[in-house]
Formats: sequence, C-alpha cells, structure tokens
Amino acid sequence: MNPMIRKELRQRMRERRGWILPSLYLLVLSAIISFAYYGVSSESSATMQGWQIGTVLFLTLTYSQLALLLLMAPIFSAGALTIEKEQRTLGGLLTSLLGPVQIWWGKFAASLMFILLLLVIGIPVLSVVFAFGGVGPWEVGIVAFTTLVILGTMSAISLYWSSAFRRSVHATAVSYVTVVLMTVVTLIIFGIAMSRVHSGDGWHSIPLKVRAPLYLNPLFFLTSALVPKNQLYPEWFICLGVFVALAALCAVLTLRNLRRSGDIA
Amino acid sequence: MIEAAQIRKRYNGSRALDGFTLRVEKGELFGLVGPNGAGKTTLIKILSTLIRADSGVARIAGMDVTANPIGVKSVVGYMPDQPGLYQDMRVREFLEFFAEAFHIPGQRRRAVVEQGLADSGLVARAESFVEELSFGMKQRLFLAKTLLHSPQVLLLDEPATGLDPLARVDLRDQLKRLNQQGITILLSSHILADLQEICSRVALIAGGKNQEDGAGRSVIELRGQDATQPQLYEVGVLQDGERAGQLASAVAGVKVLHAEPLRIVVEISGDASQASEFLRHLVISGVQVVRFDRPPATLEQRYREAFGEKPR
Repeated sequence: MNPMIRKELRQRMRERRGWILPSLYLLVLSAIISFAYYGVSSESSATMQGWQIGTVLFLTLTYSQLALLLLMAPIFSAGALTIEKEQRTLGGLLTSLLGPVQIWWGKFAASLMFILLLLVIGIPVLSVVFAFGGVGPWEVGIVAFTTLVILGTMSAISLYWSSAFRRSVHATAVSYVTVVLMTVVTLIIFGIAMSRVHSGDGWHSIPLKVRAPLYLNPLFFLTSALVPKNQLYPEWFICLGVFVALAALCAVLTLRNLRRSGDIA
Repeated sequence: MIEAAQIRKRYNGSRALDGFTLRVEKGELFGLVGPNGAGKTTLIKILSTLIRADSGVARIAGMDVTANPIGVKSVVGYMPDQPGLYQDMRVREFLEFFAEAFHIPGQRRRAVVEQGLADSGLVARAESFVEELSFGMKQRLFLAKTLLHSPQVLLLDEPATGLDPLARVDLRDQLKRLNQQGITILLSSHILADLQEICSRVALIAGGKNQEDGAGRSVIELRGQDATQPQLYEVGVLQDGERAGQLASAVAGVKVLHAEPLRIVVEISGDASQASEFLRHLVISGVQVVRFDRPPATLEQRYREAFGEKPR
C-alpha cells in the first residue's frame, strides 16, 4: 500500500472533522429523507403507489447526497497539498523516494476513500427507499458510480488548486468557486443560450454549442445516469468522458506543479 | 563526493546563484558560510534535487542531480533550515512513514526505526505525538528521519537555528560522530563557532558567487595547514612598525597585510624556513622584534576579511 494513503487516512481520522463531518452528513441526509417522506406521504398518499414514493425518495436522496458531497469534497482535498507547504513538510516528501505520482495518488486516493466512506455510511438511509420499491440495483449502482466519478473529478480539481496555492484558505475558496461555476453557472449559461434558440423537437434538436456547458455540470451528469439503461448513450458517456478528461488534466497539471514546488518546500 | 560547477539559478529575474563552484571530498565535514541571501539555501536545494539549476553541473557521488534524481535521493539526507514535522503523528509513526517512503523493506524497516529512536534518544518518547516534543527533540527526530536510509551524504541547511546552547552542543557532537562514521556532510550555518569547531574546510559564498577572504581564498582550511597555501604571521615590534613593513615588503615571498606602529601582519609563502629567513632579515635590519606568531586564523576573522561585517 502506498505509504501516503496510510498516512493521510491516519491523519484524517485523527482530526475532529474525521468524525464530525460523517455525523453531520448522516444527520442532514436523515433529515432530508424524513422531510421528503412526510411531504410525499401527506400530500399524495391517496394517489401515489409505494414504488412511486420510493422513486421520489430515491431521487431526493440522490441529488441531496451529491449536493452535500460537492460541498464536502473541497474540505478533504483542497488543503491536502497546501497543508504540506504550510507545515513545511513537502520538502521531506519530495526528497524521499516517493515520486510526485505517489504523492498525488496518496492524496487523491485518501480523499476519495473518505468520500466512499460517506457513501457507505449513507446506505442505511438509502435502505429506507428499498422498502417502498421502484428502485433496483442498476439504478443504485449507476448513481453510486456516477457520484463517485463526479466527486473524483472534484477532488482532482481541488488537488490542483491545492498544488497551485500556498495557503489552504485560498485553495479551498477557489475550489468552492469551481463547484459553483460547474453546478450553477453552467446551468445559467445553458438557460440564457436556450432562451435564444427555438427548438421544439426535444433534447437532441438543441445545438451542441448550447448543450455543451451542461456536460460540465455534475447535476446534469447525475440526471443523465437516471435514464433507462439503453438511453445512456450518448449523454451519460459524453459527461463521463468530459469528467474523466478533466480529472486527468488536473492530475497532470498537479504533478507538474509538484515537480516545480521544490523552491517553496 | 559533492561537486558543483558554475551553478546558476535565477528567481523572478534576480540571481540566487551566479556561477558558484564547490568540491567536497568524501568523508569531509564541510561548511558553507555567507550572509543572508548569499545563495546557500538555493545551492543545498539544488544538491538535494528539490530545485533545478538553470545551468552548471551538480553531482553527488558521481550522479548528476538533474539526470538521476532518484539515485541522488537514495544517497542524500537533506535537512532544511525549518524542518517540517507532522505534529499529529506519533514519533514512531513518523519514522515508520519515512522508512517506507525510502522503500526500506518491511523486516529491516522495524530495525532501522528502532535504531533511529535509540540514536536520537527518543525511545522513551516513541509513542508521544510529535507536537508534544521540545524543539531540540524535534530537531533530533528530524535528523533521525534524515538518517533512516543510511545516506552517504548529509546536506544540512542551518540545522542549529533556534536550538538552545546544550542542544547545539548535542547536534555538533552528533555531526562529528556521523562524520567519523564516514558520512560526508555539507553544512550551512551562520554560527561560525560551530563551523570552526567541527568543519575541516569552509567555503565562502556571497551574491551567489564564490567569495574570497583577505588572502584571496574562497575555501578556508580549518584543520591542518596546507603547505601550498601562504601562512599568516603576526610580528610584534617595539616602535618602528611602519619601517618593518617597508622592509618586509622588499622580501621575496612576503606580502604585508597590515603595518601599524607596534605590529605588522604578513603572509609568507613557502615552508617554515622561509618564515625563519624573514625573521632573521628583520632582526639584522635592526627591527626590534618582540613577538613572532602564527595566530590561529579564526573563521570570524576570515569572515570579516571576506565580507567586512559580522555574520548575521
């Protein structure tokens, strides 16, 4: 096992936020599912069947989970490299036999593992949905995979900012700006562009240049995963390609920054 | 063991190193001294592979630091001026992490960590968190980490900064011991007394270049005398110091550095017989010599000659 991963996980679990964040996450998720359940069951108990309630709860949970994790991802990764600069420990790492790739991978994997931990501890909440039906293993699997890809990309982006800045506070702030740009600004740009285009024949009649910003949008990526299995192509696959390419680009840029950071180490 | 030739490095347009050259032999404890901003840290960072020189050649144990950084890292132990430690790790965990980072295999790793704890006197604190240690202990822990992979070369950048006097003595003794074990050490420091006591030679650096002392030497011998180098002599006279100076300057192989009414300082090339001949010449010429010494040239004197100031 990469010693960086073990070190990172050990340090993260020793921090107060190592248990505060998962606890908060579970509390908020439970609150959301409770409100959603009471909302759905009180308003439409006569008209909605169990599987429909299950579907509504699943969608609520899926989007809420992504929103919460998008807020948490920068906390885990935006400070990962800046803390090494702030503590002046980066020099020790760079002069050891750990290469920049191992350092990056250790930081990235540790961030992703923490997110995975949050996804796993959310399973008991998700199990409420199964009681109502309407959601199968495929839906759960594709949503979990898509969420993981989105958060992996956000972690890679935050790690890049962490390699570009010297202070954690700056890297974290810019990481949140990136989250907002990708989730909100892309939607606004799409909305503005759509208002200037007349297309009444469905999604595929919208010109690609109008749709393009949405391929960067995590919520759209997640939505594209919720279509029937045979309709995943092309939107989900395009989003997957865009997010993986973005993560790879950030990884390459982070490695370049790491190799050049000896003067501040 | 350590070679740096014509090293140049610029940061944002300003020159940190401007053709600095250095050669440290195997088994030496070599000092590097110069004012703030002289380029000492930049040189040590280049040698430790942290940064790349713009031009010039740097080699450690015959390996080019740019072409073979992994090879260099495996034989070099680097200690920066402000050693960074993971405060939230236990002492043993810290050493274990770096033993793993230096790819020391599992079975040997445990032995190496135990040895590191014993050598640094931290066995009793092995399970303490790093943040609970005193500054001196942290410095010892970092040195133990630096030695985990049994480096042949130690690059130490101001290791005594912030240490109390006893911890400084401890560090000096430890460096002497390591040097006696055959480790080549390049040590930059502002504490001239420390360098004077433990180093065999010291290089002077200023403005990123080799700096010369009053005698035109950029590397000062502190242990043993180099017969090929001119030697300093101080001559005490009764009253005619200036005349003595004029007489001395007429003697071949003698260079007058200072001439005062009661004292002249000269530099004599060649062996002791040349000095004896010079003394005889002064006495025959009627100069009333009351003292003829070869004063131990302290590093501080040389530093003043080279930089015209006290070390900062």
